Amino acid sequence: MRRIYAIARKEFIHIVRDPRTMIAILIMPLLQLFLFAYAVSFDVKDLPTALLDQDQTSISRQYVDALKQSNYFTVKHNLVSSGEIDGIFDRGDARVVVVIGPGFGDSVAAGRAGAVQVLIDGSEPNSAQLGQAYANGLSRVFGTKAAISQAEASGMDPAQGGGLTARTRVWYNPEGKSASYLVPGLIVLLLTVMTVQQTANTLVSEKEQGTYEQLVVSPIHRIELMVGKIMPWAVMAALNVIMISVIGLLAFQIPFRGSVALFALASFLFVLCVLGLGLLVSARASSTEVANQLAMMISFLPAFMLSGFVFPLASIPPVLQGLSYLFPARYMTVVARTIFLKGGGWDVLWPEIAALAVYAVVVITLSSLLYRERS
Amino acid sequence: MRLPWQKHSTPETRASLEPAHNEFAIEVNGLSKTFGDFTAVNSISLSVGHGEIFGFLGPNGSGKTTTIRMLCGVIAPSGGGARIMGYDVVTESERVRENIGYMSQKFSLFQDLTVDENLKFYAGIYGLSDEKFAERREYILTMADLHGRENEMAGDLSVGWKQRLALGCATIHEPKLIFLDEPTSGVDPTARRQFWELLHDLAASGVTLFVTTHYMDEATHCNRLAFIYRGDIIAEGTPAEVKGDLMRDTILRVEVDRGEDALTALEGSPGIAEAYMQGSMLHVNVGERTEAEADLTGLLGGLGFTVLGVEPVEPTLEDAFVHLVTRQREVSA
Repeated sequence: MRRIYAIARKEFIHIVRDPRTMIAILIMPLLQLFLFAYAVSFDVKDLPTALLDQDQTSISRQYVDALKQSNYFTVKHNLVSSGEIDGIFDRGDARVVVVIGPGFGDSVAAGRAGAVQVLIDGSEPNSAQLGQAYANGLSRVFGTKAAISQAEASGMDPAQGGGLTARTRVWYNPEGKSASYLVPGLIVLLLTVMTVQQTANTLVSEKEQGTYEQLVVSPIHRIELMVGKIMPWAVMAALNVIMISVIGLLAFQIPFRGSVALFALASFLFVLCVLGLGLLVSARASSTEVANQLAMMISFLPAFMLSGFVFPLASIPPVLQGLSYLFPARYMTVVARTIFLKGGGWDVLWPEIAALAVYAVVVITLSSLLYRERS
Repeated sequence: MRLPWQKHSTPETRASLEPAHNEFAIEVNGLSKTFGDFTAVNSISLSVGHGEIFGFLGPNGSGKTTTIRMLCGVIAPSGGGARIMGYDVVTESERVRENIGYMSQKFSLFQDLTVDENLKFYAGIYGLSDEKFAERREYILTMADLHGRENEMAGDLSVGWKQRLALGCATIHEPKLIFLDEPTSGVDPTARRQFWELLHDLAASGVTLFVTTHYMDEATHCNRLAFIYRGDIIAEGTPAEVKGDLMRDTILRVEVDRGEDALTALEGSPGIAEAYMQGSMLHVNVGERTEAEADLTGLLGGLGFTVLGVEPVEPTLEDAFVHLVTRQREVSA
């Protein structure tokens, strides 16, 4: 115990005394949090839009007003003929062109769905997809409104109005706010990168300094050395989880609907997994440079690409999907999002939490074995 | 955890920590280490008595560090065995590590920790009690002349201080045996002399020192020596014994222009046992012949060199080492 304490205490001093480490632990997560949550927003707002109203009735003008009032579209151009559409897209003057065909007002007035053509510049798929969804939603809401007011006026049952179609609702994150799904994923990403990187370095730098040599001739056991070394990083990781969560809750108003205890348990297991990965690198890397590169490869890339953080796992190639099971980030991303956004509990999350526990045991055992082999 | 020198240990723990037999501090028997096809250490045997300063000499890559690592119980031997303070290096490696100190040329200090923090860290690793630590700290600060620098970063200390602090850290648990692997390399002569004074003080208090070095002049500080060359011990004994049969030979120190060319010309000439450069001077072993100065001057003059001076010198350990290596090469050739 004394020896573990001696190691842990020394590691803390290293951490606190090295400004680069402190920046990596405290400032980098904040920076990335704000970067991802603001700059890398996947929200689509103020899409530059061009309008071609071929109907020119009061109903078509109502539709245009509804479009203008939404935050999603900013009408930049009013077109007079369909021949102008190509040029608009080519010059990039608008990403969306809304064409209200002749007879739109008549159909709505007659209680049928009014047809609106929405052309979207597909060269930027993300905004295209969202723009399409918004336009559909808007038309539907507008159509419903028109149909409902029509029905009320004629004393009919609104459900029989042609404009009333199925309504989709986005649960858990109704505004589709990027921050809400990014922040829980970001916690996982930042924890992975920081923890793997730092633990990967901790033993390698000791080897480079020659102090490792001194430690192996001392009576300290490998396991004491490892526990002493990872303890401070476990504490740092815990601080980071708390820091990012609190900032997420306060600054970005993301919800936290699940159990704090369950989240703490999962985070603890996850931190063990990434600490183990870091030690694995440390056991194999010959220099801090190699350690950094290896750490990057097994931490940042999988946590970014293969965790569902940005790219939904269901939409990546099957080979990569298979690969994603090898990294703990995928499990933790599910856990974090489910707890933050859905309030899901043990009953739904036990497979992921069990996976994390098994992963932690395997990876830490593996790295202990590798250390023993070295000497 | 209790260490043998700690007072108040219970009789059982003392008994269990008491070495099986303790005639020698180090006893090595046919110790070998191979890495694949390469034999780093080839069945060496030696013994070191308590309180001796034992010099383990040899060029870089000759197997010194590998031997030390086996003796410290860090790597397992491929063959043979060794007992350190009575403990077997393979089966009782933990006991071995508790009972030895180790200092390498890298000094093993944490550069971003202060003097005090370094001491405290190693005290923690060896499980010293607070009282014991206070006592050892005081002793080491005095020994290393570090009073008033307790809060300086180890990385900011000059090399001599670093070296003495490293020795302090390596001996914080008062080991009775200390391995020093090239402890003086890269240290200036004054600091080296001071360091050897410290080592002599330790030896005088009964501590056994096992020192590797490639500075031949330092070997004269040792009570006994072993020369290791390509994994074999090629000589062992007191410095005088190691010089041994060489004492009968005559070594001539020759000052000549174009020393390197003269060396090439002399190699293989009749009557020349060995010739080699030492500093800017040419050293020539002419065997047991006496009055060979004139012959040598004539020989070199005939080859077109200008001899500025020739005089017989006392063989040094370096002469002995060259002699032994030459002989070893002849044997294996």
